[in-house]
Amino acid sequence: MIDLAQSIVDGVLFGTTYAVIGIGFTLIFGVMHKINMSFAAASIAGAYSGLLVFLLWKTAPPIVVFATSAALAGLIGYAIYLLCFRFIPIASPLATLMSTVGMLLLVDEIIVHLTAGMPLSYPAIYDGYPIELGQLILRVDLLLVFLVCLVAMAVLLYLLYRTRLGIATRAVAQQPVAAQLCGIRLTQVNAITFVMTGTLGGIAGAMIGASVGVLSPLLSLPLTVKGLIVTVIGGLGSIPGAIVAGLLVGAFENVFQMWRGVTERDMYVMLLLFAFLVFRPGGLFRIAGARD
Amino acid sequence: MLDVRDVVTAYGKIEALKGVTLSVAEGRITCLLGPNGAGKTTLMYSIAGILKPRRGRIALKDREITGRAPDQVVQAGVALVPENRLVFPQMSVRENLTAGAYLRRDRAGIAADMERMFQRFPRLKEREGQLAGTLSGGEQQMLSVARALMSRPRLLLMDEPSLGLAPLVVEEIFRIVTELNRDGTTIFLVEQNAHMALKVAHHFYLMEQGRVSFSGTPGEVEEAEVIQRAYLGSRRAD
Repeated sequence: MIDLAQSIVDGVLFGTTYAVIGIGFTLIFGVMHKINMSFAAASIAGAYSGLLVFLLWKTAPPIVVFATSAALAGLIGYAIYLLCFRFIPIASPLATLMSTVGMLLLVDEIIVHLTAGMPLSYPAIYDGYPIELGQLILRVDLLLVFLVCLVAMAVLLYLLYRTRLGIATRAVAQQPVAAQLCGIRLTQVNAITFVMTGTLGGIAGAMIGASVGVLSPLLSLPLTVKGLIVTVIGGLGSIPGAIVAGLLVGAFENVFQMWRGVTERDMYVMLLLFAFLVFRPGGLFRIAGARD
Repeated sequence: MLDVRDVVTAYGKIEALKGVTLSVAEGRITCLLGPNGAGKTTLMYSIAGILKPRRGRIALKDREITGRAPDQVVQAGVALVPENRLVFPQMSVRENLTAGAYLRRDRAGIAADMERMFQRFPRLKEREGQLAGTLSGGEQQMLSVARALMSRPRLLLMDEPSLGLAPLVVEEIFRIVTELNRDGTTIFLVEQNAHMALKVAHHFYLMEQGRVSFSGTPGEVEEAEVIQRAYLGSRRAD
């Protein structure tokens, strides 16, 4: 019983990284009605790029590495917007699907070539003792990952619901023609959305690196799949949905990892997705009118 | 105020506007009549910058705005109340109005205008915090008009504001159109409801199959046989 509780707690804490990745997918879908398949790979690439700090500053503290990861990931997000979306006709969603799948493969190849395919160690967020709560053990690093992701999500929600930029972003997502009639420029909002989600992805990538301890090119594909699963379970375009679904998938996979081992765990996550597609295809938080 | 000359707008190979020429006089209400598919909405979108004309010239007070991006057209003082209202459904009434003032930076002025909108449309005040998607059709139309006014336009384009609304609501919309005009806004209105339009507009155009086929005063509209048959029924007998 205590094992189950422990698994759920660890899973929920780590699940915030999935939630953040899911938000990235869902926000781009909400604004552009297109899927950016390269998002999770770009997030991992962002985490990698944070390691560049060590070239200039050999003893850089972890926080500087994380911040660099986030900032460079924002830049990568903008580059992906330019390369995969900006000049591709709006009316062909398949075209951007293909261009971003291509980008996903390209990003992975670049990482493999630059690192010779070897995992690189990534600074830990905390390496002291865990906190004991009765029989429950709280991993402080996971707790910090949880807090960082929570803050990142809070900042995003603040931007979306309390600022002029947020009004523009939501306006474009809900009614692009009317948004233009208000004087909002679509290309500008789209570009900013990619920078915002890119940064968010960089934070998630950094936190994943920090809690796993290494970065490997093998991280990006499973993270892509998990991000998409979180997006579908949460409901395409729904941010609260992505948050809840991220925590749910995190807990779910950790429980099955405990019961069935790490080799089988992803199979059960797929089954969870299957169950949702059959019984609740709109996801947890279906948005009225957001489907096309 | 607005001059449209030989404007051609096409969707692929199909020309929806085949050389439209008309003008809107400052301080007046000009009404554009025409059947479905005549190109009225295409014309509105071409003026507002959503669609790019293939040929021709659109000028606002001698300042050319042809092919400009929508935000530049708004900046130039034109606002469009689009067909089917197009409110932001998941945003509150207040947020919709804030979006309408997107290009303005004068916070105090925006706040004052928002209060003015709430005085003009008391129903919106009651529903200030409510999501626009939950409003009735008439309320959404008011919101769409108010949102357009938040940019402080000199020229207000309105694309079928009475579409699908109950007669009482239609009357209210037209009362507002007259009020806005009296307060100094030039209005260019697309309307199918010719009876209502005759009560308020100063000049009429009829568009058919991408061309302007009639231009005249309300008096001339009542005389014109085409418009009689298509828009006013056979009321002239009585």
